[in-house]
Amino acid sequence: MAPKKDPKAAAPAKKAEPAPAPAPAPEPAPAPAAAPAVDLSAVKIEFSADQVEDYREAFGLFDRVGDNKVAYNQIADIMRALGQNPTNKEVSKLLGNPSADDMANKRVEFEQFLPMLQTIINSPNKAGFEDYVEGLRVFDKEGNGTVMGAELRIVLSTLGEKMTEAEIDALMAGQEDENGCVNYEAFVKHIMSV
Amino acid sequence: VDCSTILQEDCSRPQEEEDIMDIPLDDPEANRAAAKIQAGFRGHMTRKKMKPEDKAEGEEVIKEGKGRGKELI
Repeated sequence: MAPKKDPKAAAPAKKAEPAPAPAPAPEPAPAPAAAPAVDLSAVKIEFSADQVEDYREAFGLFDRVGDNKVAYNQIADIMRALGQNPTNKEVSKLLGNPSADDMANKRVEFEQFLPMLQTIINSPNKAGFEDYVEGLRVFDKEGNGTVMGAELRIVLSTLGEKMTEAEIDALMAGQEDENGCVNYEAFVKHIMSV
Repeated sequence: VDCSTILQEDCSRPQEEEDIMDIPLDDPEANRAAAKIQAGFRGHMTRKKMKPEDKAEGEEVIKEGKGRGKELI
């Protein structure tokens, strides 16, 4: 009998071909240049004792947890309540460019808040009446002191630090005349009165 | 009805499509100017809400912080 042929030796297991190296993950698009964090310990506090007490009181109002701290995402509002108009970007820089998660969960003590407030109060280029009027005048197509409410709404929702529809509605309530136009000098005076 | 008496539609509606194309979305100067104006507006709205006569709304400002994580980035 013919010797049983050995079943063909199993073909030597092919060396698993190295999987093609996975294409390196595309580099995440560079985050828009984050403003460098501010060194808060270098900020000189120039508030009077009375002012510090006022600020402490306002700060306390925002503490809903009772730990003498407030959440990152409340800092902008406390500053606004205290008469400042920080941009969200300025606040983010003061907080060390936090993630959305940080914004919702991290908390700040009053002593850490003071240098942040001082920084905002010290910041140059604060907008005054003329700045706002000039900014809005850009949209005054007919040069008659009014801008179209509809156009202003579009600008506020598509440029800069976009506002939500709810914010815009609240802002513009009662500001448009029967033609949908806004007298922007009067509008700015109204804005600056509070 | 005599068709020639049909009134023409009022043509004085604002040309919104053209206006939208005029919005300088990529212009850093325009965006910086807008951000300053928006900061002023937001400051005003927060202060308005916190006035004593608007106590309920003031409370909302104080509580609101919790939900706004995303918005403030």
